[in-house]
Amino acid sequence: MSLPTRKLTVTINGQRRGPIDVPEGMMMIDVLHEMLDLTGSRLGCGVGICHACVVIWDRDDQTSEEVQTCITGADFFDGKRIRTIEGIARTNDGGEITALSPVQQAFLDKFSFQCGYCTPGFVNAATVLIERLKRAPVPRAEVEATVAAALENHICRCTGYVRYYQAVRDVILTTPGLTRDGA
Amino acid sequence: MTFRRLVQLAAVAAVLVAVALSTFIALRLLGGKTGGAVQVVNAPAELVARGKYLAEAADCAACHSAPGGAPYAGGLAMQSGFGTIYATNITPDPDNGIGRWNADDFWRALHDGIRRDGQQLYPAMPYTSYRGMTRADADAIYAYVMQLRPMKVANLRTQLDFPYDIRLGMIGWNLLFLTDSVPAASTGSSAAWQRGRYLANVLGHCGECHTPRGMLGQMELSEPLTGFALGRVAAPDITPAGLASRGWTAASLRTYFGRGIAGPASAFSDMHQVIMLSTRNLTAEDNDALVTFLLGDKLPLPAPLPPADPAVLEAAARGAGRGDYVALCAGCHGLEGGGVPNTVVALRNNSTLRLADPRNLLVAMLDGIRAENFPHRASLQAMPGFADKLSDQQAAGLANYLRVVWGGQKPDVTAAAVRALR
Repeated sequence: MSLPTRKLTVTINGQRRGPIDVPEGMMMIDVLHEMLDLTGSRLGCGVGICHACVVIWDRDDQTSEEVQTCITGADFFDGKRIRTIEGIARTNDGGEITALSPVQQAFLDKFSFQCGYCTPGFVNAATVLIERLKRAPVPRAEVEATVAAALENHICRCTGYVRYYQAVRDVILTTPGLTRDGA
Repeated sequence: MTFRRLVQLAAVAAVLVAVALSTFIALRLLGGKTGGAVQVVNAPAELVARGKYLAEAADCAACHSAPGGAPYAGGLAMQSGFGTIYATNITPDPDNGIGRWNADDFWRALHDGIRRDGQQLYPAMPYTSYRGMTRADADAIYAYVMQLRPMKVANLRTQLDFPYDIRLGMIGWNLLFLTDSVPAASTGSSAAWQRGRYLANVLGHCGECHTPRGMLGQMELSEPLTGFALGRVAAPDITPAGLASRGWTAASLRTYFGRGIAGPASAFSDMHQVIMLSTRNLTAEDNDALVTFLLGDKLPLPAPLPPADPAVLEAAARGAGRGDYVALCAGCHGLEGGGVPNTVVALRNNSTLRLADPRNLLVAMLDGIRAENFPHRASLQAMPGFADKLSDQQAAGLANYLRVVWGGQKPDVTAAAVRALR
């Protein structure tokens, strides 16, 4: 038996991968897990609701957005640039992690998660948000609502969200340039 | 000057003449009431229960409640080509609602489109359909709404453009368009069909969305229930021929009215609300009657999904639409369009795909569909919108792929059609 395949070339965490033959209809999460050895993204609901599986799609216009890899076919990413949870922390040439991103560190400091299954999705969502605020800061008074809106789609079944939201809020309020009236 | 334009002008002229005439008549005859005693209605429980059933069958709450607001306290904004009309508070609050209305006042509003204060209602309030209601049923609904909790929610002011903001103009409109009975779109004579006609044409006021409207907003009664786009989502053709052409049967329609999900069809947009607030509450007999009326006493043969031309299918399988389907849709709807039971509707033979007009398919693709709960604890998750991921050309290609492969329709959607809906 042979499955029809399509060629996939995709830049992941700055590294060009492929072209590889991907069975038609294979979702990106499976390609990441099974073909590219990137197992950090989590498969949760499988129908695009829980957002544990999101990766960051870096568009050519310098904006980024989250894409659910459990419902998005690999083909969608052909020729595109994405970041997965493996690409968020700073690493040295040997691939060892030298520094967590501010979001990752804040999640640890605030005890934001328990089981951690949803955490890669939250990290990516918060990363997209903070990059967006660098381009377009919001008034300090709107930070709380902005965080809530940005993370609203992400489901966590352990901690009730509060510590995730607090961590992201604190990163935003303590990072210069993300808010408009005073740091 | 086109013929359409001429007709439009003639109609406007007719309305203006009618306004002048009727102003005189109205001032003489229609003197309304303000103030007056607060009505206390002590109706027997059975009458109130019957009124509740009828109010639900007539789907009063759909419009007379704002999103998130108290039921029947009004506030829903209805956009029309003539301006915005706000549904009013019909709880028995004496100052904001209908607490001072008696049963005669209520009847006049439903039957003649005239408020207690003598002002004309606009036909966004479907007195055009409710006119066929029996006095006994109107009285039962009155008995029900008068025992609701009075809500102190002020009415919002309806804002129409000139000259439509002159309520007296509706006297002329009523002379032209108000009829005692809305024609049937099917044929029949059985008791179920008669009851169904009353449920569909009067209480359910199906035609208010599903019947095309003319230039002055009137229902085109020569083509009842043939479908119309009053808002962004079109109300499809629900004549016997229209329903049969999309594969509907009496059994699937009964399931649809009771549950909102029937095979690959699920109610969305306004129809979802109709199911939730109205049709799911119908008794089995009334549900059956409604279906009997829609399909007619002699049931039409449901059209099976026509086999597509192999050459067209082959072209579709190699086209860009297929690629976008696999990339963006197949994750939930499945490579073969089978969906996920109780979670994601199937696309094969889906009623929306089988519509000749691609409008609703395109709107769903661009906007997505909200997550909704359905009767019997069913629910469907949200469908994301893909407006930002699909170009006009891509969306047209994807729609054409879906239409050909699973809808039995022609691949005739153009990029311009997509752009028009952005």
